[in-house]
Amino acid sequence: MPVAITTRRIYILPTRGGYAFAGLLFVMLLAGLNYANSMALLITFLLAGFALIAMHLCHRNLAGTAVHSIATSDAFVGEHGRIVLTLENSADTARIGLECQAQDSERVIVNIPADSSARAELAVPLVKRGRLTIDSIRLSTTFPFGLFRAWTWLHPPLGLLAWPVPRGKREPPPETATGGNAPSVHRAGDEEWSGLREFRDGDSPRQVAWAAYARGRGLLVKTYQSPAAHHRTFDIAALTGADVEQRLEQLAAWIEAAHARGERYGLRLAQEIPVDSGNEHRVRCLDALALHGGGEAP
Amino acid sequence: MIAARSGIAAALLFAAALLLTLGHAPWWCVAIGGAAVAWRLAVATGRVARPRRGRGVRYLLGSITAVLAIAVAMNFRTLNGLAAGTALLVVMGALKLLESQTRRDDAIVIGSALFLLLAAALAGQSLWRMPLYLLTIWGAAAAMALVAHGDPLFTTRAAFRIATRAVVMSIPLALLCFIFFPRVAGQFWALQRGAVATTGLSDEMSPGSFDKLVTEYDVAFRVRFTGEMPPQAALYWRGPVLNSFDGFTWRRARAGGGLYVAAPIIPLGEPVSYRVTLEPTNQNWMFALDTVDASPRRGVYLTHDRQLIASNPITSVTSYDAVSHLSTRSDGPLSTLGRRYETRLPLDRNPRARALAFDIRARTGSDEEYARAVFEWFRTSGLEYTLEPGATSVDAVDATLFDTRRGFCGHFASAYANLMRVAGVPARVVTGYLGGEWNPVGGYLIVRQSEAHAWTEIWLDGKGWTRVDPTAAVEPERLQRGVFDVMADSLPATSVFLHNNAWFTYVAHLWDGANQWWQDSVVEFNLRSQFDLLRRLGIEKPNWQHLGWAFAAGLVAWIAWVALSLRRSLARGKPDRIAKAWLRMARKLEKVAAPRAANEGPYDFARRISAARPDVAADIEALAARYARLRFGPAANESEIVQFERDVRRLAV
Repeated sequence: MPVAITTRRIYILPTRGGYAFAGLLFVMLLAGLNYANSMALLITFLLAGFALIAMHLCHRNLAGTAVHSIATSDAFVGEHGRIVLTLENSADTARIGLECQAQDSERVIVNIPADSSARAELAVPLVKRGRLTIDSIRLSTTFPFGLFRAWTWLHPPLGLLAWPVPRGKREPPPETATGGNAPSVHRAGDEEWSGLREFRDGDSPRQVAWAAYARGRGLLVKTYQSPAAHHRTFDIAALTGADVEQRLEQLAAWIEAAHARGERYGLRLAQEIPVDSGNEHRVRCLDALALHGGGEAP
Repeated sequence: MIAARSGIAAALLFAAALLLTLGHAPWWCVAIGGAAVAWRLAVATGRVARPRRGRGVRYLLGSITAVLAIAVAMNFRTLNGLAAGTALLVVMGALKLLESQTRRDDAIVIGSALFLLLAAALAGQSLWRMPLYLLTIWGAAAAMALVAHGDPLFTTRAAFRIATRAVVMSIPLALLCFIFFPRVAGQFWALQRGAVATTGLSDEMSPGSFDKLVTEYDVAFRVRFTGEMPPQAALYWRGPVLNSFDGFTWRRARAGGGLYVAAPIIPLGEPVSYRVTLEPTNQNWMFALDTVDASPRRGVYLTHDRQLIASNPITSVTSYDAVSHLSTRSDGPLSTLGRRYETRLPLDRNPRARALAFDIRARTGSDEEYARAVFEWFRTSGLEYTLEPGATSVDAVDATLFDTRRGFCGHFASAYANLMRVAGVPARVVTGYLGGEWNPVGGYLIVRQSEAHAWTEIWLDGKGWTRVDPTAAVEPERLQRGVFDVMADSLPATSVFLHNNAWFTYVAHLWDGANQWWQDSVVEFNLRSQFDLLRRLGIEKPNWQHLGWAFAAGLVAWIAWVALSLRRSLARGKPDRIAKAWLRMARKLEKVAAPRAANEGPYDFARRISAARPDVAADIEALAARYARLRFGPAANESEIVQFERDVRRLAV
């Protein structure tokens, strides 16, 4: 990075409209020759030249574009993982209508003004837990006349992780005291009440503020400020009964709930991730869930 | 507005193509097309609610399509034909406009506009149409760009700019293909030509039926002489020969032709060679100077009475080379059948003319003397040349000679031939044109419909068919000058004014010359012209292969040129001038303090330098602030960058 798109790696073919245009030219040529009509022939030749110029312009629109960086962000199964391409244009003319597409993603069209750069955000649907390898990203354009499509393949070493969906109603394991000062949900013996927040999967029914629910305010959970915070360790071995995928989903639900509450937690799968908190820790845990057992759902 | 742009562009292009078909497509088709364009524009700009695409709408459009196709078929009684095809295209394009919603629909509308352009080109190849066709192609290119890309960053102006570039760059290739692309001869398929009104001379003449001769300024044909042009009075352009007279109307007898053998012609004097470019007449006549030697080409026949007849009606501009002898002789003899044929007259018509003929014949010794005496009688008996003779009775010759005593060339030729036939001298009426207008700009002669003329030919033993022009006896000036000069009084004032206005005449000649050039070198360009060109380039025996090589060489050169010129404009990327100026400033300041660290922002850097050099601190901090604004702020304009560069250059430490 940055990778400049060189002319050798660009392919170009007529679009459907381009083939139709070629058909039109053929009919015009036949008519011109048939009637020995110079005007029709002149128009045909002019349009043929135009088509060839269109091909050059199309090729030129892509050639020389540089891919400055590619970033990814992972997501839960059923959501979209994102690939963010930053494209650079160092030419003195704008590049219009660059279409980016990665595997099953929607086609995203970006325009880069002259001597500037632009971002394309591709949303790749995640359907299965684990690692989704992105073999290639296609960058293409039909600019300016829509008669030709020039394209190139980017082969970045890319992968998206599909985290298991946070789902499951089981009670989280009990906390162990460690000391600290993070806000947490009510446990027996906790002190200062700090407020209410919305119910999430993974919360215990015992923490729900039923009085508030009775007043029609929806499912709310009581949170408390505890001077001596606790931590939990989520262990896949402790979850029994369900199959692996459901257990992973339950773990994801606990992680999400614990993260939202700002708790400290650890995760024990094949290996153990030590107790910690924060978004980085959450992502590390979710990644571990995604890749558990080779990352392949049965 | 950006979303509407695609539909507007396609609709406007269709409207432009529609204008090109004016005059070829029937008016009601053009009206439907125009209405559809208006509808599409209203929908695209949101003035009319977008119709929903239901099954009902589809059935409605389907039935309208069927009705219109039937209407076109009934209008032309066929769908196979250029005019019918054009009408059908217009109607179908209009329907597509009605149901257009997506960009794909708009692209199809552009396609049908291009087909209309083709139809227009097939129907009209005049020089003045060329710029219109070019404009349409340019518009089509811009419309294609606008339909394909709807981003606001891609302005309409940018679309036209890139269209201009593409069209202009393709012109060299168009010319190359035009010159060297091998022209396959012959037709692959034939479309019916629509009926074209016949113009010019016809194969019968009834001078008595004309109340007033309408003179048309239209061009009949143009002539380019190889050598000197013969004198005006000798320019008799021979057309249909009429040899059957019923006392009122001269006709061309269809049966008579092959029955007798033409007497061989002995040319006198030098031959005159020239090239005629004939405007379409939808008739078979071709014109040549009296008397032509041989048929100029295949498909054209020279008849026994020395007329040129094409086997197919002249429906497009046609050029041919001919050689004529202005003066000829024939030893004869005229066959008995021929003599009988060329002296036939109805016995009960024009009795006074018959009496006059007998009277004069009695006084003269030979046919030739008789002919001269009748000519003299025409000259001296007070006949008047006019373009408004008034209609006459059935005995047209008597009326002309004794009652009205006025007429134009047709009357006099008819009367003279009648008098000859009464006395047993074989005679016939020849129609055609006399003289022409010299175009000094183009160096050729323009013969107009207004120069139409009729004269008489009589057979004299020992001389053969001899031309006698009785109009010359009545109005000698007509031989030297055109109708416009002789009969100025009876013509519309404007056309006479324009004819006499020197400036207008010059411009008209210039324009006519340009058209003639266009016709000769562009419209008529064919395989033969291609080989001629190769011969001029030094290839002695040109063939298809040579054409192919020349074409390929040109193509390679053009592609190289296109690739080079497009590549250059890519590599000419704008250098980042702001960054360059900033680097220059950093280099200058290296003398003062340690070089800027990679992670040091412009403000930090400036602050560190300022501490070392309090005397220039203000300047440096101001420049750093400006750099930060130019670099990271909203897009900098040119003058700010220039100012920044200058101030950095001036900074002294």
